[in-house]
Amino acid sequence: MNFLTIFARNLKQGPQTEAFPLGPAFTPERLRGRIEFNADHCEGCRICERVCPANAIRFAKTPDGMTFDCWHNTCVFCGNCEFYCPTDAIHQTNDWDLSHVNADKFDMVEHGLIPNQKCVECGATALNTAPVIKNAKPPLSAEEYTELRARCPKCRAKYLKNRKVPA
Amino acid sequence: MSTHNVPETFSIPVGPLHVALEEPMYFKIDVQGETVSHIDINAGHAHRGIEYLTTKRTMYQNVVLTERICSLCSNSHPQTFAMAAEKIAGIEVPERGIYLRTVADEMKRVTSHLFNVALLVHLVGYETYFMHMMQVREIGQDMLESIFGNRQDIGAMCIGGVRYDLDDKSIAYIKGALDKIEAETKDIIKTFKTNGSILRRTKGVGVLTHAEAITCGVVGPVARASGVDYDVRREAPYAAYDRLPLVVHSLTDGDVWSRAMVRLEEILTSIDLLRVCLRDLPGGPVNINDRPDIPPGQAVTRSEAPRGEVIYYLRTNDTPQPERVKWRVPTFMNWDSLRFMLQDAKVADIAMIVNSIDPCLSCTER
Ligand code: SF4
Ligand code: SF4
Repeated sequence: MNFLTIFARNLKQGPQTEAFPLGPAFTPERLRGRIEFNADHCEGCRICERVCPANAIRFAKTPDGMTFDCWHNTCVFCGNCEFYCPTDAIHQTNDWDLSHVNADKFDMVEHGLIPNQKCVECGATALNTAPVIKNAKPPLSAEEYTELRARCPKCRAKYLKNRKVPA
Repeated sequence: MSTHNVPETFSIPVGPLHVALEEPMYFKIDVQGETVSHIDINAGHAHRGIEYLTTKRTMYQNVVLTERICSLCSNSHPQTFAMAAEKIAGIEVPERGIYLRTVADEMKRVTSHLFNVALLVHLVGYETYFMHMMQVREIGQDMLESIFGNRQDIGAMCIGGVRYDLDDKSIAYIKGALDKIEAETKDIIKTFKTNGSILRRTKGVGVLTHAEAITCGVVGPVARASGVDYDVRREAPYAAYDRLPLVVHSLTDGDVWSRAMVRLEEILTSIDLLRVCLRDLPGGPVNINDRPDIPPGQAVTRSEAPRGEVIYYLRTNDTPQPERVKWRVPTFMNWDSLRFMLQDAKVADIAMIVNSIDPCLSCTER
């Protein structure tokens, strides 16, 4: 294409630069942006904490349960946590806009809590994590899942072992 | 002052911070009039400590860290690192993962080459065309962002395969983008062959002869432009390259123009390879879906990054962290050749010649 043709085409197309902030910015669906944590799906395995190269993820034991914190300003948006998370408890949204005023810098955290619960069977205090049921055969029904989840790790293991498996 | 008091040669410093150089490299250049008579290259102005850091991170964290060694070869580093880990642990990457690795590799090559050649046009002083070429590259950058979620650190690699997958929709999208880039690249090649300003500034400038190329041990497009017909993708195939119709481009002149032309031709080849990969993409898993411990051992692997051969040495022990990671990057091999290229060059061509080896100091002075 000679330059006059390019010139004519560009005239017709208008500017190639994005109109942002006056208009929307190009944001693909798969863009790897801000981390989102869903405590309800978390198994508490802490793999994400281990594979995070930036040490942006911290779990801590508190009287209420286990807290999850991901510091957005430390995160390098690599997606290792999401990739290695066995459930889909942690994932990267396509929200890239993390601009904030300096006063808010300590609030740039994704916070979550896996609360403590009392085991319905033995009464021990344990984390209300999502049970690991990947290998359970046949797959658990909704009631079974709720029953399983309400137990402590020991009673969960017992529950799965004693589960009547239809032949 | 009478003219015979003026010394015949001047010494001019170029860098380590210089308007025409994007990277911290220092040249002490003796000039006679407008002509370079002697060059001293002094490197080592930046040290990022990444080799040390790799021994403080686990193998799985290091895939991310090695990706950040270089932004333009950001796929080759984790890929070669993962290849080394897989060699030690005897991990076999599933067939689909092998093809997807190639896809990621070639997409990065396309955008990296377009970037370098665009910069050359900028240094030639043809600003309008530079803008146009960057806009063409932007098609590729949008493609990376849409498929991988990031423009530079695409995060495609993991130990045991790749982290992403393609569906019909994304394959159709890539094909569309490739068509656009291909048509534009063909035009750029035509312009490079006919445009007077580009030809005058780049033909016969910064010549590296075949013999000098062998002496310096240059790699990548720099070697191929001087008639060294060598490409790791063909000599020691990794990923899916042994099954692809790879064409290795080489020219004989060894000037700035030839190096740009090799890169432009390689873009077209990469697009062909991508199309074959997308056509032959096998089914099945994209990775081993596991996070095995890497046993103690050592391995050397290499791959063809956009800038040339990159070699990884990895030694592991019983801990999750590697004991030693060392890499040899293409720029390390290529920058010595600048001594030959800059000899008798015009002062105005210095920046252009330096750019023509596609220097990357962020990976060389890690
Ligand atoms: S978010 Fe995922 S990886 Fe992290 S602890 Fe929870 S289940 Fe494990
Ligand atoms: S995206 Fe990467 S850096 Fe960010 S929290 Fe996840 S693992 Fe850590």
